[in-house]
Amino acid sequence: MERDDWQTRVWRGKAAAIARAVIPTGFDELDRHLPGGGWPIGAVTEIFIDDYGVGELALLMPALTALTKADPAKPQKWVAWIAPPFVPYAPALRQHGVDIDRLLMIHPTVGHKSRLWAIEQVVRSGSSAGVLAWVAAADDVVLRRLQLAAEDQACWTLLFRPASARQQRSPAALRIRLSRSETAARVEIIKCRGGRPGVVDIAGLALGEGECSLEAHGR
Amino acid sequence: MRRGPQSLHLNVPMPLEAPRIDRAPVRSRPQLWLAVCLPSLALECLSAARVLEPTVVVEAEQGQSYVVAANREAANAGISPGNKLGTATTLAASLQVFERAPHLERASLESLARWAERLTSLVSIESSEGLLLEVAGSLKLFGSLEAIKVKVRDEVAKRAFDLRLGVAPTATAALWLARGAGADALQAHELASRLGRLPLKVTHWPPAVQALLEDLGLKTVGDCARLPRDGFARRVGNAYLTELDRALGRRVDLRTEYRALSSWSSRIELDGESADNALFMEIIEQLLDELAEELRKRQAQIDRLAISFEHLHRPPTIESFALLEPTHERERLLALVGDRLERSLLPAPAVALQLRSAALKPLVQRESDLFEAKPLEELVRVLLERLRERFGTEAVYGLRAVAEHRPERAWAKNIGIMGRRARDEGVPRSQARPLWLLAKPVSFAAEPASLDLSGPERIESGWWDERDVGRDYYTAKNAQGQRLWVFRDRRTHDWFLHGFFG
Repeated sequence: MERDDWQTRVWRGKAAAIARAVIPTGFDELDRHLPGGGWPIGAVTEIFIDDYGVGELALLMPALTALTKADPAKPQKWVAWIAPPFVPYAPALRQHGVDIDRLLMIHPTVGHKSRLWAIEQVVRSGSSAGVLAWVAAADDVVLRRLQLAAEDQACWTLLFRPASARQQRSPAALRIRLSRSETAARVEIIKCRGGRPGVVDIAGLALGEGECSLEAHGR
Repeated sequence: MRRGPQSLHLNVPMPLEAPRIDRAPVRSRPQLWLAVCLPSLALECLSAARVLEPTVVVEAEQGQSYVVAANREAANAGISPGNKLGTATTLAASLQVFERAPHLERASLESLARWAERLTSLVSIESSEGLLLEVAGSLKLFGSLEAIKVKVRDEVAKRAFDLRLGVAPTATAALWLARGAGADALQAHELASRLGRLPLKVTHWPPAVQALLEDLGLKTVGDCARLPRDGFARRVGNAYLTELDRALGRRVDLRTEYRALSSWSSRIELDGESADNALFMEIIEQLLDELAEELRKRQAQIDRLAISFEHLHRPPTIESFALLEPTHERERLLALVGDRLERSLLPAPAVALQLRSAALKPLVQRESDLFEAKPLEELVRVLLERLRERFGTEAVYGLRAVAEHRPERAWAKNIGIMGRRARDEGVPRSQARPLWLLAKPVSFAAEPASLDLSGPERIESGWWDERDVGRDYYTAKNAQGQRLWVFRDRRTHDWFLHGFFG
């Protein structure tokens, strides 16, 4: 019932003419809170984090797995990682079911200007189904351009930004803050086009990691 | 619908007299064309096809594959050009089949054309069939037509191509004589009789046209030439009458001259010194317009480009560009140059800009199959090119998993992204690995108690290449809620951070 309620809201929204394309996050708690039931495709999503390693990649793994899965009906697009802070570790990605052959790593030269340039080139190129980018500084104008390009190319565009940047105004369709409590990952929905702010705790994210702890493997 | 010869005549009450060759328009200089036909080029240009088994080259047309060339073994089995592939395979069980490769045919012809430029200044490439050489002016130099023919025969034999020659005062006639193995026509007045005996198929007119002519009871070129002109034009088509006229020397028969593809350059001078990037871009656009037009005319593309900015008192600044794949597209070149120019700073104002290309390459038409996948591949290629042009080749790569115990060696960069897919190596382990790996482990002063450790997983290996490791890996949790992947070196007992469970 709750889900229907959300969908109704979507259709009343400003962009009602276009059915909103989403990709399920793979976490029911989160899907229920997002319009259409998943990450908005063809839009910019900002993810604010204080530290790396709080589950920011694990949160994306089900969607990334789905996005890199071969679909014989469609040409296989790429998922680009722009300026990742560490090495996205191929064995771990494969353990999560991601097809690493579809991933493209891009390391722009230092400076946020070249990062933003690279993000825009990738999104605009139409070659990528998804973009994961780590960028601290980005002004409203640049974000607006990215949002338009993402819409044009139906590109799932994720920007990882420091929590301090959340105060800035932004045209992004979805803005969330990810943090970690003792038992769960906490997703704070700051802004959500066609939806409403709220807080979602994802226990499954913590569990997924529990498997790598000693308890799960037996001493 | 079928029409016999009578009906043709009925429609033409006043047949025109067949023109006589001696009334051909007078030319400033009589020409003599040597047609160099390579009838089996489609087969011979494929080195893989030079085998002693029945082999054919096929070309797809409206969903059907047709034989365009067959080697002797295939011909002995009864296969001839024009057969459907299905028919050919029933005739020869062990048939080898190759797709036609027009770019290889073109390359063979261009190579031969470059050689032929030593015989005459006028060499023309005749689609995928051969060359046309205008040799009237060369007769004196080489002594005789026969001497020229010997040179051609020797060279073509060296290249192991099958050869047929034809000689006539018009290019079209020379070509037809070569195709039909007709005797040389050295003088214009010999054209009608020499061509007249050739069967219709030497014209290479479309099958429908040839069928129509056969229905009219016409079997040779001579039969056609004897028909009333306006009736022929109406029944068969004006284009074929024109071609007939060209062959018979009733009309001027021009050929485009082959010019070897060399590099290209153009230069524009500024009104004075300038350091205005907007002006430079404007000029570069103009130069690229010229280049694109030249490439279009020559059916060529380029893979390297340089722009030099000439200064007054110092050597020019040269910006050079290398493309991943040759291109003829102006927009692609412009984007590449634009990206660079935005970021580069000239040491001094420029007074002139020169654009130079490396050697032009023949334009290769992509095969139309896999039509779905091509555009995306093209998008990716263009994107890679722009990113690598700006950030360097090493800055853009794919990922590979490697079967290797040492964690830092269990992945690798895949630089040749567009090439073959990375081999599926490195079966994921049962123990979970962190999504973030630190490129180099970072040592830290540990207070294991504060880290909430789980583990260890012992990883020992590498003694064989003297980079041996002995590590106990743990997952850890710190006060900020980060999940860490840490290890203790078993020899030094030092603690290292090696990754995050992102």
